[in-house]
Amino acid sequence: MEQILANGLYLGAQYALIALGLTLIFSLMNVLNFAHGQMYVLGGFVTYTFVAQFGLPFIVGLLASAVVLAVVGALIEKFLFRPVIRKSKREESTMLLAAGIAFFLDAVILLVFGEKQRGVPKIVNGVFNWDFRLIMPYDRILIGVLAIAAIVGFILYMQYSRTGRAMRALAQDRVAAQLMGVDVDRYSMIGFALGAMLAGVVGGLLVTITGINLGMGGPTSIKAFMMIMIGGAGVISGAIAGGFILGMMESIGLSVLAVYGDITYLVIFATLMIFLAFRPQGLMGKPWG
Amino acid sequence: MSTILEVKAITKRYGGLTAVNAVSFDVAEGEILSVIGPNGAGKSTLFKLISSFVPATSGEVLFRGAKISDLAPHKVARMGVVRTFQETTIFKSMTVRENIIVAHQLRAKASLLGFFIGSAQARADEEAFGASADDIVDFLGLGAIRDELASNLPQGHLRALGMAIGLATNPTVLLLDEPFAGMNHDETMNMVANVRRLRDERGVTVLLVEHDMPAVMKISDRIVVINFGEKIAEGTPAEIQANPRVIEAYLGSEDAAIGM
Amino acid sequence: MNTQKLLGVAGFLFAVFVLVPWGIAASGRWDFYYTLTSVALLSIGAAGVWLTFYIGRINIGQGAYALMGGYVSAVLIMKAGISFWATLPLAGLFCAVISVLIGLPILRLRGVYFAMVTLVLTEVTRLTALALSVTNGAKGITSIPLPGELSLFGLTIVPDFATMQNPKLAFYLLAATLMVLSYAALWRIVNSRLGHLCRSLQQNEELASSIGVNTAYLRVLAYAISSFFGGIAGAVFVAISQSIYPSSFVVTDSVNFMLYCFLGGLGYVFGPMLGTLLLYFGWDLLSIAKQYQLLIYSSAMIALMLAVPNGVLSLLDRKGGRK
Ligand SMILES: Nc1ncnc2c1ncn2[C@@H]1O[C@H](COP(=O)(O)OP(=O)(O)O)[C@@H](O)[C@H]1O
Ligand SMILES: [Mg+2]
Repeated sequence: MEQILANGLYLGAQYALIALGLTLIFSLMNVLNFAHGQMYVLGGFVTYTFVAQFGLPFIVGLLASAVVLAVVGALIEKFLFRPVIRKSKREESTMLLAAGIAFFLDAVILLVFGEKQRGVPKIVNGVFNWDFRLIMPYDRILIGVLAIAAIVGFILYMQYSRTGRAMRALAQDRVAAQLMGVDVDRYSMIGFALGAMLAGVVGGLLVTITGINLGMGGPTSIKAFMMIMIGGAGVISGAIAGGFILGMMESIGLSVLAVYGDITYLVIFATLMIFLAFRPQGLMGKPWG
Repeated sequence: MSTILEVKAITKRYGGLTAVNAVSFDVAEGEILSVIGPNGAGKSTLFKLISSFVPATSGEVLFRGAKISDLAPHKVARMGVVRTFQETTIFKSMTVRENIIVAHQLRAKASLLGFFIGSAQARADEEAFGASADDIVDFLGLGAIRDELASNLPQGHLRALGMAIGLATNPTVLLLDEPFAGMNHDETMNMVANVRRLRDERGVTVLLVEHDMPAVMKISDRIVVINFGEKIAEGTPAEIQANPRVIEAYLGSEDAAIGM
Repeated sequence: MNTQKLLGVAGFLFAVFVLVPWGIAASGRWDFYYTLTSVALLSIGAAGVWLTFYIGRINIGQGAYALMGGYVSAVLIMKAGISFWATLPLAGLFCAVISVLIGLPILRLRGVYFAMVTLVLTEVTRLTALALSVTNGAKGITSIPLPGELSLFGLTIVPDFATMQNPKLAFYLLAATLMVLSYAALWRIVNSRLGHLCRSLQQNEELASSIGVNTAYLRVLAYAISSFFGGIAGAVFVAISQSIYPSSFVVTDSVNFMLYCFLGGLGYVFGPMLGTLLLYFGWDLLSIAKQYQLLIYSSAMIALMLAVPNGVLSLLDRKGGRK
C-alpha cells in the first residue's frame, strides 16, 4: 500500500508538471499544444547531451533543458502561432500548426539525436528500504522532490510575481486584461516559453530514471491531454489534480490489475470516458455553453 | 380569450443567486405581453425557463394545460413556443434567405433520408420553405437584403432577421428578447408595427422583453414587471405607469424612469 | 452552370479511372498504385472527419474507427468465413453503431474537449485490440485471403482477386470507386437540407435547437456517418495488406485525417480529398529525401499553414465571393 502511494506520488509529480505547461499554454492562447510531448523529449535529450556527452553535472544539464526549451517555446509562439492566430478564420487552425510543429520537432530530434534510447548514469546510488514495505531508489526520491519543488515554485511564481499575475488575468478574461493594459502578445510569448520550459524540465528530470527516446513524445502528449481533461482544461489546480490522479491511477492499476495483463490504461481510459459523460468540464474546469 | 400559457411559481437559482423567484402569471391567447424590469432583473432567464432552455429549480410552465418546463427545447419549439435571443443570434455564414429556410425545420414533413435522396415530399418541402421564406421576407420588409450574408448586416437588420427566424417556425407563442435593441426610432416603429401585424394577421401570441419604454407602452396589452427576480406588478400599460412600486424600482436603478 | 458541373465530374471520373491507370502503365511506376489506393482510402476516412467538422466538432479519432472496421472485417473473414464483400458494409455498420454509443455522451463536449476525447479514443481502441483475444492481441491477424469473387444473381461483378494478374489495379479501382461513392454521398448530404442543418449546428447550436432542430440526434447521426466512412476505409486497407495489428492505425493516423481536412479546407466538400492527395502523395514523393523526409514534410506543412491558414481551397475564394 505504502509502495503504491509512493509510486503514485512520484509519477504524479512528473505528470502534474507536464500538465501545468500544457494547461498554461491552453489557458493563455486557447491552443492545444500537440507538440508538448516532443518538447518533453527534446528536454530529455538536452540534459542527456550535457550530462552524458559533455560530462557536466546533472544540474547544469537540467538548467540547459529549461533554457533551451524556453527559447524554443518563445520562438514558436512569436513566429508561428501569432501570425496564424491572427490570419485564420477558425481558431482550430492552430491545431494543424501544433501538429506540424510536433512532426517538425520529431524530425529535428531524429536528425540531431537519432532514434536510439538514451540515458544518463545514475545521479545518486542506493535504495531506500523501509522494512520491504516501501522500497524506492534514492534517485527517484530526489527526482520526485525536485518535481514537487518545481510545482511549488511555479505556483508561487504565478501567484506573486507581476508576470504571473498578468498571465492569470489574461487567462481569465482576455478582453478585460487587454483593457487593463496587459500586453497580450508579450505575455502569450512568456506563457508559451514557460509552458515549454516545464515540459523540458520534466524531460531532463526523467532522463535520469527512464531514459529518453524519440517515440515517447506522442504518448506523453496523450497522457498530458488526459490529465487536463480530468482536472479541467485551463485551470492550474486542475492540472495538478489531474497529474496526481493519473499518477495514482497508474500506480494502483499497475499493481492491482497486473494479473489481468496489460489493461491498466484501458481501464483508465474507460473510466475517464464515463467520468467525462457526467462532468464534461473535468473536476475544476468552468462549465461552458 | 382563453389562457394559452401559465407560468406557475417558476424559480431559477444559480448557486447562491436566485435569478427568478417564484414568478407566476398567465398569458391569454393572442395577447401581446411585455416583461420589463431593470438590468439583471431576471427577464432573459424567465424567457429561457419558459422555452425550457434552462431547467427550472422549481415551479412549472403549462402550455395549453400541458407541462412544458421539463421537455427538451426543440420539443417545446415543436409544440409552438419559440424564443429569439437577446444576443442577436443568427447563422452568420448563411444569407438572410438561407437563415429563414433552415429555420423551417419544424415544418419539414420529409425525413432526413428523404431530403438526402431528394424524395417527392422533400422537394415539395423545399419548395414550400422557399415560398414561405420569401413570404416572411416580404412580411418584415427585408426584400432588399434577401441574399445578403448575415454576417454583413447592421444591428437593426439582425434583429429583424432574428424575428424572421422565429417566425419561420410558425409559432403559436413567440418570445422576443429585446427585439428593438440597437434600432433607431424609425426601425423601432417599423418593428412595433410588424409585431402588431404578427398578432393581428397571424394570431401569434407575443411575449417580449424590452427596455424601450415608449415602444413597450405602445405595443403591449399587458405588462409584467420584475425586479430582483420577483414579480412586483402586472397590469395594463396605464396601470403600470401609475404603480408606485414600479416607479420606485426604476428610480432605484440606473435605468431612466418610465418617462414618456 | 450545371453543364459546367457535369463536365467537371466527368473530367474527374475520366482522370481517376482512365488517365491514372494509363499514366501508370505508360510510365511503369506500378508503385504509384499503392500510393494512390492509399490516398483514395484515406480520403474516405478524411471525408468522415470533415463531416464532423461540418457540425462544429474537431474529430481526432478516425483512426479508432479505421482500426475497428479493419478488425471487424478481418475477424468476420477469418473466424466466420464471411466473404470480404459482405464484411465491407458490416464493418461500416459496426463502426456506426459503436460511434452512436460513444457519441451520445461525448458529443455533448465541444471545442478542444471533444478533440481530446476523440484522440484518447484512438488509444483506447488500440489498447482494446491488444487486450482482446478475438483480435489475437499483439500478434494481430495475418494471412487474410484476398477478396473473393463478387457476384450478383450469378453474374460476376468483380472476379476473385487471387486469380487476377494485376490485383494492384483492381484494388486501386475498388478504392477509387468507394471514394467516388463516398464523396457523392458527402456532396449530397452537404447540399441537401441535412447539410444546411449541420451548418446551423456548426454556427449556433442554441439557435438551432430553438428553431426545433434535434441537435443531439443530428450530431450523433453525422458522427455515425463519419465513423461508417472510417470503418469502410479500414476494412479495405486490411484487405490490401492481408493483415492487421493493434498498431495498424494509431494516434498519428487520427491526427493525419484531421490534417488532411484542415489543409484542403474545412469549407469545401472536396477539401479533404485534395488535402489527402497533397499530404500523402507529397510524403511519398519526399521519400527520395531520405532522412530529411520528415523535416521537409513538416516544414512544408508549417509553411502552408502560414501561407493559407484557411486551407488550400480557400485560394479559390480570392477570385470570386463564395464557393
Ligand atoms: N448561466 C448563468 N449562471 C449564473 N448566473 C446567471 C446565469 N444567467 C444569468 N445569471 C444571473 O441571473 C441574473 C438575471 O439575469 P438575466 O435573466 O440575464 O437578467 P435580465 O435579462 O433581466 O437583464 C443576473 O444576476 C445574472 O448574472
Ligand atoms: Mg436580458
